[in-house]
Amino acid sequence: MRILLMGHPNVGKSVVFNRITGANVTESNYPGTTVDYEKGYVRIGHEEMEVIDVPGTFSLEPKDKAEEVAVKMLERNKDSVVVCIIDSTKIERGLYLALEIIERGSRVVVALNMWDIAEDKNINIDVEKLRQILGVPVVPTIAVSGEGIKELVSRISGATSVKIESVMKNVGGS
Amino acid sequence: MKLSVDERWDIIDKISKETVKFGEYRHTLKDALAEITVKPLTGIPIAIAVLYGFWSFFGAFAGFFTDGFLVKLFDGHWLPWLQDVFPGGLGNWFYSIMVDAGHMESGVLVAADNCFESFGVLTSGLFVAIGVVLPAIIAFYLFLIILEDSGYLPRLAVLIDTVFHKIGLHGFAVVPMILSLGCNVPAVTATRNLETKKQRFMMMTLLAIFIPCGAQLGIMLDVIPEYVGFVMLYLFLGFFVFGFILNELIPGKSPEMILDVPPYHMPTGRNVGRKLWARLRGFFTVAIPFVLLGVVFVNVLYLVGVIDWLANVFEPVLVGWFGVPKETTAPLVAAFMRKDLAVGQLMGIQEQLGMVAFNTYQLVTSVVLVSLYFPCIATVAMIIKEGMQDRGKGVITFLLGSLAVLMAVVFIWGGLLHLIWIILGVA
Amino acid sequence: MNNESKYNIGRIYFAIFGLIVLAFGAAELLLGVTGRSFEWGLLEMSGEFLLWQGIILFSAGAFYLSSFKNFSDIHQQAKVVMASAMIWIVAGMQIFGMILESIPGGEDGGWFNTAEGFLETYAGPYIPELFLLPFSLVVIYYIRLNRQK
Repeated sequence: MRILLMGHPNVGKSVVFNRITGANVTESNYPGTTVDYEKGYVRIGHEEMEVIDVPGTFSLEPKDKAEEVAVKMLERNKDSVVVCIIDSTKIERGLYLALEIIERGSRVVVALNMWDIAEDKNINIDVEKLRQILGVPVVPTIAVSGEGIKELVSRISGATSVKIESVMKNVGGS
Repeated sequence: MKLSVDERWDIIDKISKETVKFGEYRHTLKDALAEITVKPLTGIPIAIAVLYGFWSFFGAFAGFFTDGFLVKLFDGHWLPWLQDVFPGGLGNWFYSIMVDAGHMESGVLVAADNCFESFGVLTSGLFVAIGVVLPAIIAFYLFLIILEDSGYLPRLAVLIDTVFHKIGLHGFAVVPMILSLGCNVPAVTATRNLETKKQRFMMMTLLAIFIPCGAQLGIMLDVIPEYVGFVMLYLFLGFFVFGFILNELIPGKSPEMILDVPPYHMPTGRNVGRKLWARLRGFFTVAIPFVLLGVVFVNVLYLVGVIDWLANVFEPVLVGWFGVPKETTAPLVAAFMRKDLAVGQLMGIQEQLGMVAFNTYQLVTSVVLVSLYFPCIATVAMIIKEGMQDRGKGVITFLLGSLAVLMAVVFIWGGLLHLIWIILGVA
Repeated sequence: MNNESKYNIGRIYFAIFGLIVLAFGAAELLLGVTGRSFEWGLLEMSGEFLLWQGIILFSAGAFYLSSFKNFSDIHQQAKVVMASAMIWIVAGMQIFGMILESIPGGEDGGWFNTAEGFLETYAGPYIPELFLLPFSLVVIYYIRLNRQK
């Protein structure tokens, strides 16, 4: 099984990648550093899984070459689990990409990265509620220090695909 | 089911209303610092201070290793020892490729007394690679990586972008340009982040022509320390002049780059060390073999007479148009392999010809020519690779276009420098 | 002492310090532009980077002075921090350069410097930034104060 790491540029995909695979991809505090994909492996339970660090993309309607790579990657790996990494301080932009991936029927796990910076900025996210609405695992992470990465990995095998209709129903509920 | 853009935003709006609470947020010192580093009025002096720091660090660090120890090691011990024990001797073809070609002084072939002049693989080649360029790129990358990881580099890019907009220059991709200061190869790759084919073509071509790499900067700092600033300025200026012209000439759009600026944070030693190591590993495995091969290549061409033939063919252009001695042919050939090697050879040639036949202004022109005239082979390979991905069969037009720009630039910008010296009365 | 009076002391301190920094910056700038140098006791203003040092110091002085109004505001504080950081860069690089220069022997000397030559490197005269450095460190106190707030 494959795991794709997707998210906006500079949300820390490469940091998460290094954390879970123990690889040595260069991490930069600089958007657009990963223009090609990187591969690594992680063992979950007894299964060895391939992890791919996809170049950052804002949406699935590609604007440049690096984003095209990302979209193609998703199309080619329909049965893989997508870990959608969201910058917790800009959660709305991140959710846009997450919804697009959900619509395409992929299995999704959402990582709310940079959780510490969101706390600094006094942004409060109700993780439990978000999990209920989206119907997919949602895990707060601080990739640079490694917090939440274990939980994130443990949720990957339990990821399921959800229908966008159910998301719409859940959000309309209250 | 797929949603429309509006429907999606509608759902997100509802989700965020239910799950996210934005508390009162007061600006922290970090935010305020972030703000003043990108506003031109405060940002420019800060940028000057940072670049000053960069420069002094670079100079002090490289000077410590190169002038403090490595020059002594190579000129005082390594070269005499090799001249002593290496089989052959002056005049032998293998000896002149590997150790010392010697040079004519009033009709007699004499041995070189320093590693710039000897032009051997084991002498000049190793000296340029390890004695001069290695310390320089360690210093260079160390500082660059710290700037990058702290979050200052993207801010510098935004600041430069803002300033360019104010003076009417639009659509330049400053990010790849700044990345390119390290090495042109990853910078060419970074142009993938640009949206249109026109932009990618422009940036790839201009980067490869005008932006000197870290290795070249390092050796320039050792060879012509007083003029590095001028050379850089002249090259950057060329970048924008030709960028402006190309932007007008080539059909197509160059939309603005939207750059997300990351927050400032303390660079971690682990990541800085890892990145520095990755860069250095690249230097040892790719650059050093290329430098050594470059020396062999040029020396063989020299021995079979190709260099002299080329020098005579291009003499009218070199002497007449650019105002540099015809002996600069060999470094220009070497520049195709490695630019740092070429600058090192220029230095050796100046020492052989003497300051009268080859003065400092001519040396500066030659260094500028080395930068402009052809990207190094690694960059060319990368451009071809990217061009193929980008254009498919159109890659030929793409490359010919690049080459045409290159020729125009070399003649105009190189000749202009000669003209400047003439006007100043020094050429 | 309450925060307000702490900030008031800071305002006055950095105003006076800013004026001194500005004056040194202006002097360096003028000397740099005209290509002259100046030496007085342990103070020295010369060298190929004088013009740049002048620009940096002058700007730092201007940053300090412009923070006078609403000194406690975080954006004004940021300017004080940056002005100090600019002095640290110039002074720090000067010290770094001195250390590296003191270790190897001269062009015709041995591998390492003599003890005498080593000490001589540090004997001065020094650039103004080195004298200004300790006084600019006061900003660290205010960085802490801002964090507590």
